[in-house]
Amino acid sequence: MDLLIDSFISAFLLLWSLDPELYFIIYVSLKVSLSSTLIASVLGVPIGFLIAFREFWGKRVVITTFNSLLAIPTVVVGLLVYAFISRRGLLGILDLLYTQTAMVIGQVILIFPIVVSLTIAAISQIDVRYRKTAMTLGATPFQTALVVFREARFGVIAAIIASFGRVIAEIGISMMLGGNAKGYTRTMTTAMALEYDKGEFVLGVALGIVLLLISFTINIFFNYLQGRSRA
Amino acid sequence: MVFEIIDLKKVFGDRTVLDIPHLYFEKGIMYSLLGPNGSGKTTLLEILSLISPPTTGRIRYNDRDVVFTGNNLTPLRRKIVMVQQNPVLFTTTVYKNLEFGLKIRGISKKEREKIIEGSLDLVGMRDFMNAEAHKLSGGETQRVAIAQALACSPRVMFFDEPTSNVDVENQIAIERIMMEINAQKEISVIFTTHNLNQASKLSRKVISLFEGRLVPSIYENIFRGKIVRDEDGNGICLIQDKIRLMIETEKTGFVRLSLDPCKIEIMKDQYIQHGKNIFKGRLIQLTYEHDHIRVVVDIGIPLNILLPVDQPRNEPLIIGDEVGIFCPSDGIQVF
Repeated sequence: MDLLIDSFISAFLLLWSLDPELYFIIYVSLKVSLSSTLIASVLGVPIGFLIAFREFWGKRVVITTFNSLLAIPTVVVGLLVYAFISRRGLLGILDLLYTQTAMVIGQVILIFPIVVSLTIAAISQIDVRYRKTAMTLGATPFQTALVVFREARFGVIAAIIASFGRVIAEIGISMMLGGNAKGYTRTMTTAMALEYDKGEFVLGVALGIVLLLISFTINIFFNYLQGRSRA
Repeated sequence: MVFEIIDLKKVFGDRTVLDIPHLYFEKGIMYSLLGPNGSGKTTLLEILSLISPPTTGRIRYNDRDVVFTGNNLTPLRRKIVMVQQNPVLFTTTVYKNLEFGLKIRGISKKEREKIIEGSLDLVGMRDFMNAEAHKLSGGETQRVAIAQALACSPRVMFFDEPTSNVDVENQIAIERIMMEINAQKEISVIFTTHNLNQASKLSRKVISLFEGRLVPSIYENIFRGKIVRDEDGNGICLIQDKIRLMIETEKTGFVRLSLDPCKIEIMKDQYIQHGKNIFKGRLIQLTYEHDHIRVVVDIGIPLNILLPVDQPRNEPLIIGDEVGIFCPSDGIQVF
């Protein structure tokens, strides 16, 4: 118990002292996670919207596939991307392994299905009468699509936030593709795992506090938006 | 002629929900599409308002064929607007809801303001201009939806069951608004209803639909029945297992039949005789309508009877009276 209390006190002091190593780890985590969330959203939201909005042959199969990919383990994505970007891999020539770019690629693959699936869910729950209203008021197909998207906006933002929550807390991809290199690819989760291995708790607990704060903030915001989308 | 329908069919799966060989609507007139639930009223309205294409057949708007593919529909849709049953408003203010149709038509901001204020005035909702649309009551939402449609200056307006989910106060207000739209703005109005009184009261022409087909509008008492034969081979139509109507027909099994409301005779209690196609019932409604009086008698099924206003009567009819009705064979049509 003393160990935990001591660790907490030291962790707060570390946070308070603006320790450069600690804040650089937080910076790398946020940079990589925000980048992957941004890319996955730019790709996933329009695709999710199109899948939900349009009728096409095999639509149910596509939706089921994306839903199944929600449960994909991070280590599987890590292995898959590793196979491509390692020296012997197809994209080995690009020398991406153990870089932040590699981490971003892995994380995008991880959360792309989440963005797509949750966007589909958000668009699908929009009452069909909104589409009919826009059409009858003279909207073009594109303007009608924008109306539906606008009505689903809180749900779509919630999808993006949920995806960010997934990547900021993941460790498998960051470890396997980033390599936990100090001052370069070390993120909050990989640093915590390393500190645990070393038996050093102070930095780990400090990072844990930050990670929890971020998770709390995300969840509060997520719940708020979900409430708005149901209102 | 504003709309013409030729050989129109709408099929969902293996069910034909609409089958209309020919129908037309004249400009500037208020029409009602009358029929029970599931008669295809909303489906027809969605096809006419160009939201949903027919499975087969042609629609002509202003004597030109409507093509349901490509980008041909948007310019046409901008001349016709439909107010849905239980309309939804966009999750923003009332003002922005009305502004939507005007913005996409490229109308200037100043002009938009003027039109929005005028449209809200007509439906008595100007005070709600800056209110959040999703916080309005059902009746208020319906009125704003009408204003939203009206702001687009349509040539034709469709209303799907416009008063089915509102209180009496809003019902009266909405009926008044519809009549004003038709009379003052010279907009053709086509609305659906399952309420015969509303159809007769508001519209110049009533189009009756039953199970996706047109039925002659003079036949308001439309029922589904089963033809059986008695021991002498006479035809009897069983309606809802309550009414046994003697009819002359070669048909067997399930049929639709109508009883002409102008031909049904009504008699007071003391004059009721027993005989073929005479039924006892209770008078449940009396309404004055344009050039006749509508009497509704419950004989196990509600039966509408139309009496000429100037018909001499020995005794007045009073709601609650027990009366007899006689359905003459020339007023019964099986189809």
